[in-house]
Amino acid sequence: MLIYTINRILQIIPVIFILSVLVFGFVHALPGDVIDTLTATDGEEDPEVRAALEKEFGLDKPIYVQYFIWVGSALQGDFGKSLVTRRPVNIELIERIPATVYLALVGIGLSILIAVPLGTLAAVRRNTLTDYSAQITSLAGISIPEFWFAILCILLFALQLGWLPSSGYAPLFSEPGKSIWYLILPALAVGFRQAAFTTRLTRSSMLDEISKDYVDTARSLGLSERKVIYKYTLRNAMIPTITISGLQLASLLGGTVVLETIFSWPGIGLAIYDAIQLRDFPVIQAGVLVLGVMVVVINLLVDLLYRVLNPRVGMS
Amino acid sequence: MTEQQLESRQRIDTINPNDTPFAIRMRRLRTVSRNALDELLKSRTATIGAIMMIMLLVTCILTPVLATHPPTKPNYRVRLQPASADHYFGTDKFGRDIYSRVLWGGQRIVLISIAAVVLGLALGIPLGVFAGFFGGRFDSISMRCVDGLIAFPGLLLYLLIITVAREWKLEGFWNDSILVFALGLNTMPEIARLTRGTSMVEAKKEYVEAAHVVGEGSLHIALREILPNIVSPLIVNATVRLGYIILIIAALSFLGLGTPPPTPDWGSDLNVAREHMESNPMIAVYPGLAICYSVLAFNLFGDGLRDILDPRIQER
Repeated sequence: MLIYTINRILQIIPVIFILSVLVFGFVHALPGDVIDTLTATDGEEDPEVRAALEKEFGLDKPIYVQYFIWVGSALQGDFGKSLVTRRPVNIELIERIPATVYLALVGIGLSILIAVPLGTLAAVRRNTLTDYSAQITSLAGISIPEFWFAILCILLFALQLGWLPSSGYAPLFSEPGKSIWYLILPALAVGFRQAAFTTRLTRSSMLDEISKDYVDTARSLGLSERKVIYKYTLRNAMIPTITISGLQLASLLGGTVVLETIFSWPGIGLAIYDAIQLRDFPVIQAGVLVLGVMVVVINLLVDLLYRVLNPRVGMS
Repeated sequence: MTEQQLESRQRIDTINPNDTPFAIRMRRLRTVSRNALDELLKSRTATIGAIMMIMLLVTCILTPVLATHPPTKPNYRVRLQPASADHYFGTDKFGRDIYSRVLWGGQRIVLISIAAVVLGLALGIPLGVFAGFFGGRFDSISMRCVDGLIAFPGLLLYLLIITVAREWKLEGFWNDSILVFALGLNTMPEIARLTRGTSMVEAKKEYVEAAHVVGEGSLHIALREILPNIVSPLIVNATVRLGYIILIIAALSFLGLGTPPPTPDWGSDLNVAREHMESNPMIAVYPGLAICYSVLAFNLFGDGLRDILDPRIQER
């Protein structure tokens, strides 16, 4: 296990390297450079001023040196300053992380609460009306784009019925009641689609487990069907479900831009979206890097957790 | 051997000795497609999916005939009208016919996603076959790169690429090409991984050994012998991927990161519709339904196909 863990941690190094090169290269692939943005003269300024600025920003050095300088400061949490607010980018982003994590965790939690009972029920009552309706609902769920679902939710619950606010955010710890009030619609939009995935997965892994020999043994020993299902099979079937939910948490963080924009949810995704609109490149750069690293690290943790939960999986 | 299998075997075997090679080939093609159709009809999901898919594709091809109005021409006298005999789905805030815009938008999004998946297949299959068939150092190096790309959160990659494209003021065809490139690049690793896995299994089978004995070259064996035998899981993957890519494109253009406004596009039309959601909620419904329909078609077909091709599931 230790060797596997070390191996696995070593494996993410090239991934993070590719990520950092892409993010670093991104700013250099843009037309013009920082100096054009700062002086706003479209390259017609005094060459001496330009040389001085180039020296100040380290642009006179070869590109790989610039890369290492950038990585060095990024590792210390220094991503430069926002071109719009002139505040350090790391402060801008750190403020945003809790909102993103909050929404993603509640969304995933909600999806598990819906999906596990539904998927289990569908598997236990296979080929009945319950099963078919669960399957059809979940298939529809993965086919509905989440932003459309979100719009329809706003249309129904906020605009037509007026029950819930259509957008906004309050921090959980200072105003818990208001915070949950604002959270309901976004969490529903996140949870619905994830629940569709998880239901399908729970159903198929339950079916896998139910067809195994130990279930027949347990039944022939005279254990009640309820005990066989809930005590033995469900536990084993949960292993892939938990793993995939973890992986979905990672992909949710990566895809959080869309829903955060719709609900004006002040997370990293909205920060990236606003930065794209305002052409605030340091924030885009740092935001993508931070989200990307979070995704990779969560994937790693989930993979390790999977091995701990399920020691039968080979360590290769 | 079941009656049906016997029958299909006979269809292949009854070859008239006087037939030309072309006639034999045609007959074989006909038999294969007939058998494929028989298999397809066994699964209800796949049949429904196939019908929906064919309807979608036919609609895309016939768009110029079916559309009643030019999709981008504004007509301020008929702004925000409800559905009528002249405008089947009503009109948007510029007085453009929503029905025609949904049709043209569909043609565009389906074309882009097919191009992206084809690009992903064209990059991924050769890489996977060679990695699986030749193994060794080529295998380990290329699979490390593939791992790196798989771990990269997809939407973030698109955001970077598209921001750069926007800064370079790429428009029309070039903007779409960048989109296809980004989506294809993101499809490639999964295809490569899948192809590698299956071709490694195939490479150990007797018919490959037989081909070696006959003296066929490695390239011939990889492409002409192994490839046809691993096509089915690839078709499943590519189909499901088509639905996923439609969702991604719609999400991107919903955020305003797709093609700029006058072009009909499901995602950006939905975004525009948000402004008039309270007075004309139906505007926000049609493009969303169109997305759901197309994604559902591909998902159903992919699901059904997987059931047909995976005998382990079929037994249940």
